Amino acid sequence: MADRIFAGVLLLVTLAYAFIAFTAIQAPFQYDPLGPESWPRLLSVVAIGCILGILWRPDNDSLDVARTTWFRLAAILVLLVAYAELFEPLGFIISTFLFSAVVSAMLGARPARALLFGAAAGLLGYVVCVMLLDLNLPGGFLGELEWGVSAPETQTEPSTGGTN
Amino acid sequence: MRFTRLMTSAAVASALAIPAIAQEIDRPECVAPAQPGGGFDLTCRIAQGGLEPVLKEPVQVRFMPGGIGAVAYNMFNTTRTDDPSAIVAFSTGSILNVVTGKYGAWTIDDARWVATAGADFGAVVVKADSPYGNLEQLMADLKADPSQVVLGAGGSVGSQDWIKAALLLDVVGGDVSKLRYVAFDGGGDAMAALLGGSIEVYTGDVGELASQLDAGTVRVLGVMSPERLPEPYADLPTTFEQGYEVDWTILRGFYMGKDVSDEDYNAWVAAFEQAYGTEHWAQTVQQLGVLPLNLAGEALEASVRERAERLHNLAAEAGLIQG
Amino acid sequence: MAEVLAGLGTGFAVALDPFNLMLVLFGCFAGTLIGALPGIGPINGVAILLPIAYSLGFPPESALILLAGIYYGAEYGGRISSILLNVPGDAGAVMTTLDGNPMARRGEAGRALSLSAVASFIGGTIAVILMSFFGSLLAAFAVEFTPADYVALMVFAFASLASLVGKSTVKTLLGALIGLMLATIGIDASTGVERYTFGIPDILAGIDFLVVVVGLFGMAELLHLVEQQVTGQLKTLPVDKSFVRFKDLAVAKWTILRSSLIGFFIGVLPGTGASVASAVAYGTEKRLCDPEGRTFGTGDIRGLAAPEAANNGAAGGAMVPMLTLGIPGSGTTAILLGALLMFNVQPGPLMFEQRPEIAWGLIASMYIGNVALLVINLPLVGLFARLLTIPQHYLTPLIAILAFVGIYSIVGNPFDLLLITGLGVFGWFLRKLDFSLAPVILGFVLGSLFENNLRRALSISGGDWGILVADYKSIMLYVLALLVVVLPIWLSRRNRSTLAVSAEE
Repeated sequence: MADRIFAGVLLLVTLAYAFIAFTAIQAPFQYDPLGPESWPRLLSVVAIGCILGILWRPDNDSLDVARTTWFRLAAILVLLVAYAELFEPLGFIISTFLFSAVVSAMLGARPARALLFGAAAGLLGYVVCVMLLDLNLPGGFLGELEWGVSAPETQTEPSTGGTN
Repeated sequence: MRFTRLMTSAAVASALAIPAIAQEIDRPECVAPAQPGGGFDLTCRIAQGGLEPVLKEPVQVRFMPGGIGAVAYNMFNTTRTDDPSAIVAFSTGSILNVVTGKYGAWTIDDARWVATAGADFGAVVVKADSPYGNLEQLMADLKADPSQVVLGAGGSVGSQDWIKAALLLDVVGGDVSKLRYVAFDGGGDAMAALLGGSIEVYTGDVGELASQLDAGTVRVLGVMSPERLPEPYADLPTTFEQGYEVDWTILRGFYMGKDVSDEDYNAWVAAFEQAYGTEHWAQTVQQLGVLPLNLAGEALEASVRERAERLHNLAAEAGLIQG
Repeated sequence: MAEVLAGLGTGFAVALDPFNLMLVLFGCFAGTLIGALPGIGPINGVAILLPIAYSLGFPPESALILLAGIYYGAEYGGRISSILLNVPGDAGAVMTTLDGNPMARRGEAGRALSLSAVASFIGGTIAVILMSFFGSLLAAFAVEFTPADYVALMVFAFASLASLVGKSTVKTLLGALIGLMLATIGIDASTGVERYTFGIPDILAGIDFLVVVVGLFGMAELLHLVEQQVTGQLKTLPVDKSFVRFKDLAVAKWTILRSSLIGFFIGVLPGTGASVASAVAYGTEKRLCDPEGRTFGTGDIRGLAAPEAANNGAAGGAMVPMLTLGIPGSGTTAILLGALLMFNVQPGPLMFEQRPEIAWGLIASMYIGNVALLVINLPLVGLFARLLTIPQHYLTPLIAILAFVGIYSIVGNPFDLLLITGLGVFGWFLRKLDFSLAPVILGFVLGSLFENNLRRALSISGGDWGILVADYKSIMLYVLALLVVVLPIWLSRRNRSTLAVSAEE
C-alpha cells in the first residue's frame, strides 16, 4: 500500500513533468537536432513506465512507522524549517543555540545539559567556522555586535604585519 | 583563516605595504556568477588583486554558477538587494541577458553599477594548424554555406558568445538560423574542444587567450575591434582592417543591489577610483589579460544605459526579442 | 625521463624548504577539516582560502603549495563524515558511504577510516607519479576527447552502475530517472531556455549538486536517526580501537590499484571529476569482485577502498590539463588556475620551461602532501572515531548544524537550507521504500553531462547519429560497457558451475 501511494504521488508529478516537456518547453533558436524538450520527454516516458511497474507489483506494504514516531518526525521537521528560516535573521549563534538545545532536549538530554550543549554548539561552531576557517556564516544582530568589538583587532592585524 | 595570518605575519612582514588611506568595507566579497575559470572569475580576480592596497581586508571571490548569471542578478534583486559588502561581476553579456529578458522581469535599473574592471574584445580563434589562415577564407566559407563550418563557444544560444558568431555571419549576409553553433559549458571547455578538433572556430574573448597565444597553439583570425589593441595584443589583426565591420567590445565590471545605500555604494566607487590611478591596478589588469578601461559611478551608469539600448536594437534585429 | 627526474629534483628542493614544508602540512590539516564538513569540498575550500594566501604576500610557489595542500586535504577529509555519519563530505565521497558507513556501524570505524586513508594515499600517489611522467601526453589525449566520446563514457558509467541494483530493478531504474529528471531543472545549457524553474530564481541555475547530496543523504540520515532513536533501535557505539590490518590491504590491493587508475584517467578528462570517477570505480569493482552482490554495500573493505582510491586519483588527474595545457579539468583546478594567474604565472605548455620552480615545486608538494596526509590522518583516526561515542541526542542536532553550515557557506542562500530539508524528507521516504539513494545521486551527476554532450555531438555532426560511433575511443568505451555488464554474469555462471561440480564430487 505504501508503495502504491508513493508511486501514485510520483506518477502525478511525473505526468505534470511530461506535460510540460511535451507542451511548454520550446526554444526560439536551436541548432541541435535534439532541442531542450527531447531529453525530458524521453525521461518522462521511461519514468512513467517504471512507476506503472511499481503500481502493478508493489513490494512494500506499509512504512511501519508508529504514530508517536510520526509525531517526532513532524516535530523535527518543523524545527528544521524553523532553523532554516531563522538562520539569517537571528544569526548563526542564536539560531544554532535554540535549535540544538530544543532538539537535544526533545531527544532525551537533560534540560541543563541541552542548554549547555546549545550554547557550546553555537559559540564554538562560530569560532571554528568563522574565525578559523573563514567561512561565510550569518552574524545576525549578535554578529554585528561581535564584529563591532573585534573590528579594531582585525584591522591592526595586517598593519602590524606591514610596519614591523 | 585568521590564525594563519597571525602565525605567518612575521614571515611576510616586509611584503605587505598598507597605504595611509584605506577604504572601510566589512568582509568585502566579489560574486562571480559562473563556474570558476571563466570571464567572471577573471573580473573578480581583478577586484581582488587590484583593490588589495586600498582595502583593509582582502576581497573574497565567491562563485554563484549557472543560469548565465541570472541567479546572481535575481539574488541581488530579491534577497541581497542591500548587501553593502558584495559586488557582482558583470560583462556586456550580462547586459545583453537583462535586455533579452533572460534575467526575468528585471531591467538594468534594478542594479547599481559600481565600476569597471577593464575591457575585453571578441576574437575569432582557430587552432594553430587550421586551414583558415585569415578571416577572409573563413568568411568566404561561411557565406557559401554556413552549415559547413562548426563554430562553438562557452555560452548558450542568445548569449554574448553566440551573438559574436551571429554577427560574423550577419556581416556576410548569411542566415543566422543556418549556423552550426555548439554551446559549451564555459570558455575552458570550448577551448579544449577547439584544441581537440571538435569545433573549428571558437568565438571567444581576447582575455582568455593569453596562455594559448604564448604557447602558439591557437591563431586569432580577427579581433572584433575597430582598432588594433595595445600590447601584448598589438600583433593580432582586427576584423575591421580585413574589411568586416564587426565590433564586439566587452565591458567588464561590477554591480550591486539597487537598495544599497549611497554611503556603501560610494565607498566602493571611491575604492575603485583610488585604485585606478595606481601602478598596481594597471599591472593587475594587464597581468590578467584585460585591457584598461576605467569607469566608475555615474560615468559607468551612463555607459551601461547606452549599451543596453544598443544591445536591445541588436537583439531585436537578430530575432531574440520581439520589438 | 632524465628531464622529469631533474625537474623533480628542482621541485623537491623547493617543496622541502622548511617554510614550504610547514605550509604543506598546514594546508593538508586545514583542508582535512574543511573537507570533513558536509557540503564544503575542495572547490569551496580553495576558493575561500585563495584571497588569504594571496594577501599574505608569499612567493608564488609557497602560496600555490599551500593551496594544493588544502585541495588534497579536502579530498581526504570528505570521507570522514561519509564513514562516520553516512553524510557525504563532498561530491566525490558519495560512494564512500555505501560500504564505509556499514563498517562504522558494526564498530569498525577506526578500521574504515585508516583503510580509506591508505587507499587515498595510494590513489593520490599513483596519480602524481603518472602525472610527472606522462602529463603532457595525457593532456593531449584528454582534449581529443570529443562530445561523442563523453556520451560513450556516460554509457559506460551507467553500465557500471547497473551493479548498484538493489532489491528491486525497477526501483533502481526509477531512482536513476528521478536523479536525471532533477538534473533537467534550470536553464538549458545549450539554448538558454528555462526548464521546470516556475519562475523561482533560486533554481534558475538548477539545483546545486551539493544541495542534492547533503539533502538526500545528510538530512534523510538525520530523519532516519530520529526515527530509530524514538523506536529505541539505536545504541551509542562503544569506543572502537580497530585499525587497518595488512591482511585488509592484501585483500584490497588490486581493487585499490585498478580504482586509482580509473580515477586518474577520468580525472584527466575536462568536465568529469571525483564524483564520476568514484562511481565508475565502485561499479566496476562491484562487478568484478562481488558479481552476485553479497558483500558490497554491507561493509566490504573493497567497496570502501575503491571510491577512495579513485577520488584521490581523480584529484591528481584533474591537475594534468591545467598544468600542461592551461585548461582546467575541474572546478577546483580552475580556481588554482586563477591563482596561478594572480601570481603572474601563465599555466600551459610553457610553464615548465619558464617557471620550472613553480611547476615542479607544485608537483613535488603533491608527493609530500600525500605522505603528510597519511601521517596526519592515521593518528587522528582514533579521535574522529570517538565522534560516534557522542550520545545520539547530541549527535543528531550536530549533523543538522554541520549540514547547514556546509550548505550555507557555499553561496549564502538560505533557500538552499529549505531545499535540503525538503530533499531530506523525500530521501527518507525513498529509503523507507527500499530505493537506494546512490542511483538517484548518480543520475543527477551524469544527467547533464549526458544530455549536453549528446546534443553537442549531434550539433557538431549536423544531426548525424553516426558521430556517436565514429571514433575508436567511443567504440572502445561501448565495448567496455558491454563487458562490465556481461562479464559478471559470465563469472557468476562459471562460479556456479564449479560449485555444482565440486558438490557432485
